[in-house]
Amino acid sequence: MSRATRYLAAAAAAIFGLALATGQADAQTLDRILKEKKIRITAQVDSAPFGILDKDNKPTGSEIETARQIAKDLGVELELVQVTGPQRIPALLSDRADLAISSLSITTDRAKTVWFSNPHGALSIVIGAGKNVNISGPADLAGKKIGMTRATLEEQEVPKIAPPGTNIVYFDEHAATQQALLTGQVDAIGAAAFLITDLAKRAPAMGITSKFTVRTAFYGIAVKPGNMDLLQWVNTWVFVNKHNGVLAKIYETHTGVKLVDLPSM
Amino acid sequence: MTYVFQFGIVFDQFDRMLVGAWLTVQLAFLALALGLAVAIVCAYLRTTGPKPVRWLVMAYVEAIRNTPLLVQLYVIFFALPGLGLRLDANGAALAALVINFGAYATEIVRAGVQSIPVGQIEAGRALRLTRLQIYLLVVLFPAVKAVYPALASQFVLLMLGSSVVSAISANELTAISNTLQSTTFRAFEVYIIATLMYLAIAVAFRGFFAGLYWLVFVRGRGR
Repeated sequence: MSRATRYLAAAAAAIFGLALATGQADAQTLDRILKEKKIRITAQVDSAPFGILDKDNKPTGSEIETARQIAKDLGVELELVQVTGPQRIPALLSDRADLAISSLSITTDRAKTVWFSNPHGALSIVIGAGKNVNISGPADLAGKKIGMTRATLEEQEVPKIAPPGTNIVYFDEHAATQQALLTGQVDAIGAAAFLITDLAKRAPAMGITSKFTVRTAFYGIAVKPGNMDLLQWVNTWVFVNKHNGVLAKIYETHTGVKLVDLPSM
Repeated sequence: MTYVFQFGIVFDQFDRMLVGAWLTVQLAFLALALGLAVAIVCAYLRTTGPKPVRWLVMAYVEAIRNTPLLVQLYVIFFALPGLGLRLDANGAALAALVINFGAYATEIVRAGVQSIPVGQIEAGRALRLTRLQIYLLVVLFPAVKAVYPALASQFVLLMLGSSVVSAISANELTAISNTLQSTTFRAFEVYIIATLMYLAIAVAFRGFFAGLYWLVFVRGRGR
């Protein structure tokens, strides 16, 4: 997210500038969507479990499911606009998509270029380890070897809470980080909570659990700045579906972990 | 397209990159020394050992030369702990580099050894030298001289190839660069500095080997 964020901010700012120059955002986007009976939503399919391709190459995942639910509740057809991570915001600003629902973490940097709804999901960074490793809080990391993957949220957040004497080692891919934990090359790893749950299932003998949460990042639905009517509807949708449990059900089905309490902005 | 270079952030962390570069040099030299020992023994066994041993050495050389270094590294770091042999990241990196360089150097040294004419060995026997003396003085010394440029090149390749050990969290130059890059976001600057460091190390090594050649094979020839 980190490097991408800055790169994105720059790219997005450039494209946003272009968009402003070519014409004001349509103030009545919601009307247009309802009239055309079609909504276009970003689909990032390279970030399991939020968005992936299933066996038949069809998009699936918690964010894709959220997009489908939104289209259903609006009563319109869904058009998925396939994007990569760095294209999520540019796709909105260039009017290729009406909504970005692609696990976009809510940050003040991004808020300069897009408008966020209230959060509809969360990503927790945790410290995971086997049952015979004694860790219950940041202080226990001292003297232990902690593995994590470069260019991830955990790489930014774990060093902030690690006490002196923590030996943090970095791998290039999630697969290598997880393998290092499974083979005992590290005592614990920092990773997204759902990755730890997944790992625990694959190696039941080790009794891997999340020892504690380092940080929770919330992600929301983004609209192009100026789409007030659409944002208002999306916020209402998030509110309703938070309370009726639909959001939690989608999240838990796809990630295998419980959705934390979602705050409102 | 304009890109504003900001080397300041990188230079703040310059000492970390130097530490990484130093580990690269250490890994390369240790792997050179141990790998060369492996190569000399294997080349000896490959040319004069009994048939099963020759095949064994050949199998080792072919297995290593026909598989990627990264895979060998993963096997040592991730698979061997399952068999009860646990090496830490730097240990596993060194082991992989020794095994890898050893295989390539075995082939190079073997080529040199086989280039020694039989008559030269017979001359050694005529002088009543022992088997070991014949191998070391009559065979190995001129053989290494003949293949010296190839060995030196292979060694520089070994030093550059050591960059893949960043994948198992050994903190050499590439690993430090990757980490700095992902925390400072200054990819161009970090990798430009890393590239220059690798270049400097490689050039220094070539100079070192040229000097060693002169010391051992040119100046020493008169004696």
